[in-house]
Amino acid sequence: MSPELSRRGFLKYTGLAGAAAASTGLLSACSSTPSGAATWAMWSSSPAERKVWSDFSNYVERQLQVESIPTLTPSGGYPTKLDLQLVSGTAGLVTALNGTLIPTYAARGAHRPLDDLIAADPDFDPADFYPAIQKISTFNGRTYAIGFDVAPTVLYYNKTLLAKAGIAAPSPTEPMSWETFRDLAKELTRPPDQYGFTCAPAIDDLVSWIYCAGGNVMSQDGSRSILNAPEAESAIQFVIDLFVRDKVTPPIRNLVTESSLSNFMEGNVAFMQNGPWQVVNVRKAKFDWDVIPFPAGAAGSTPRVSGSSFAIPAGVKGEKLDLAWRLLKTLTSAGALDIYAKAGRNNPARRSAGSAFKPPPDNLGVVQDILAGKVAGGHPYDVTTNWNQVRQLLGQDLPRTFLGQVAVPETLDGLTPRLDVLMKQHQDNVRQAEARKG
Amino acid sequence: MAVETLPARTPVRPAPTRSGPTPRWRSKETLAAWLFILPSLIGFLVFTAGPVVAAGVISLLNWNLFSSPTFAGLKNFARLGPDPTFWSALGNTVYFTFVSVPLTILVSLALALLLNQGLRRIAVFRSLLLLPYATITVAVAFVWIWLYIPQDGLVNAVLGWFGISGPAWLISDDWAMPALIAMSVWKSFGFGMVVFLAGLQAIPQQLYEAAKVDGSSAWQTFRSVTLPMLSPSLFFVVVTSIIGSFQVFDQALIMTNGGPGSRTTTLVMYIYRTGFENYDQGYAAAQSLVLFGFIVVITAAQFVLQRRLVHYDN
Repeated sequence: MSPELSRRGFLKYTGLAGAAAASTGLLSACSSTPSGAATWAMWSSSPAERKVWSDFSNYVERQLQVESIPTLTPSGGYPTKLDLQLVSGTAGLVTALNGTLIPTYAARGAHRPLDDLIAADPDFDPADFYPAIQKISTFNGRTYAIGFDVAPTVLYYNKTLLAKAGIAAPSPTEPMSWETFRDLAKELTRPPDQYGFTCAPAIDDLVSWIYCAGGNVMSQDGSRSILNAPEAESAIQFVIDLFVRDKVTPPIRNLVTESSLSNFMEGNVAFMQNGPWQVVNVRKAKFDWDVIPFPAGAAGSTPRVSGSSFAIPAGVKGEKLDLAWRLLKTLTSAGALDIYAKAGRNNPARRSAGSAFKPPPDNLGVVQDILAGKVAGGHPYDVTTNWNQVRQLLGQDLPRTFLGQVAVPETLDGLTPRLDVLMKQHQDNVRQAEARKG
Repeated sequence: MAVETLPARTPVRPAPTRSGPTPRWRSKETLAAWLFILPSLIGFLVFTAGPVVAAGVISLLNWNLFSSPTFAGLKNFARLGPDPTFWSALGNTVYFTFVSVPLTILVSLALALLLNQGLRRIAVFRSLLLLPYATITVAVAFVWIWLYIPQDGLVNAVLGWFGISGPAWLISDDWAMPALIAMSVWKSFGFGMVVFLAGLQAIPQQLYEAAKVDGSSAWQTFRSVTLPMLSPSLFFVVVTSIIGSFQVFDQALIMTNGGPGSRTTTLVMYIYRTGFENYDQGYAAAQSLVLFGFIVVITAAQFVLQRRLVHYDN
């Protein structure tokens, strides 16, 4: 007997086994959407975000002359809901994906490659998108998504605080060195009322330092972990020292609600690393502030570049595919991204829509200069097909170094073999995806 | 005198006839009973038995939700042995259960006994004490996060009044789990308290009067009258609390996200992550079945003990 079960066969057996089939039927019946409508899924956690997606929806209806039905889900629960929708066949024609999850979904066959649609459409110009988001939206040599935002991590600074301390504003074009940055952070730290720096005690913030030191979480081919290589280790040690030895960061109160943004917004922290997606929130600050390029390490200023995209589920076929592609093009068109950028949500993924993401702050243009390679640099966030597991493992062990409970080398020695197991699993995922492709 | 004996009679069962009484299973009462049971039965089959059977099937597969599942046999169960995170999560869950359940019962019982002393406005107190149980866990967990803040949280402030320097509760290796347990006891005691209060109020007063006449002390009365008469309620609360504690998830996810390290990662949290974040449905189903097995064994053991320890007045 072949050990492989077809999906249909599996569903048949489980359906016979219990009432799972009944519940699936109920789910499908409850969430059927009108045919011919442009259905799409997006995360949304605030009224301001809902307003943007509502404007997107209106734009889609005007452009496509069909009903637009966005399904909005709070960002925390979005991937789980999307999974359930994809499995039950109730997902929209187009779904938003965070860049870190694109390889995960692509490797599992949840979304379809778009290269054939791109090649057959002379109206679609991929070159208008920044190279970083093109790389983020690609897996195994194929394009699985089209970006709607992309941005490098930058350094926010409290101008008022620096001016009060008599420190000149840092250059918006020349990234400062790590040493200069640490000295400044120390100089501006006066506990318990004032601190030099804040970042989240998690891998998402650590990777920018690792990239700037010339390191990475895994080797270029994704086959093994190199987090314990000298470059990555020195970067992690540098950041941990800011927390534990130099004590230039606000004390960590707990690991769940710890937020660099809320620390910075209190007005007593000089520098915060974050993405320009926080500009919309920091604009509410009651002090003067601006952004500058990320501090330069041994490999220069090459912080992570993150982005999000829209993709088409693998189950969308036939006439629906045509509508899905037109919907995807509309959602990522310059017109739609202008709405996004004008609302200040984040830097749009298209060069032609960039002008809508305007200052304040004064130096906001540095974001597009970095993406265009004019100032400093960036490094697309490298992830694996099991990035959730990698992030989970790192999220479990790394925070204890930020708390000073475990030394950095000890943590990395413990993490490396476990990360290597995940890298092996990632290689298997890539091979399986490759086999499906063949 | 001769004793007249009656001839032995063999009970005669009337021969079934077409026009005889309706069989019991077709009686109106039985049908009505089934109709009443039906909604619960359907609910049980669809939402409990069905998923358990489905989990059994899925545990034998490699399945990432999207690709075609492949048959894995018992490999997913074999993976449990060398998986340190699974054992650590199980250990944390057992620790949580065997500390939080006795504490919750003690607090519930103490409060129920207090409320049963003929307090005035008992309904008000009962409602107030039931509030934590009625409040959603997510909200409670967020409030407790703030109470536990090391620098200026209320818990450490109160400890400070007594000259005690409180720890960084939720990020401490040693204190994160006790902190979760304390919050859980506070959240759960109301349920046990209400059940105990109902049990206490059902104890016949004559028993207490008899004990008084016999000169029993308060402790002797509690041990020989209250506790045996309350044992059915106690049994119910113990069984439901242990099952609930083995399924602890939300407060740990919200308050500590399983950390620091994996000190507060519970089994259900690990199952959720395996299934819905790591997309390893087969392994998650295998873990669920093992948890189900643990709960069944522990509950069965309690039912065995019940015969010796629980006193039913009928």
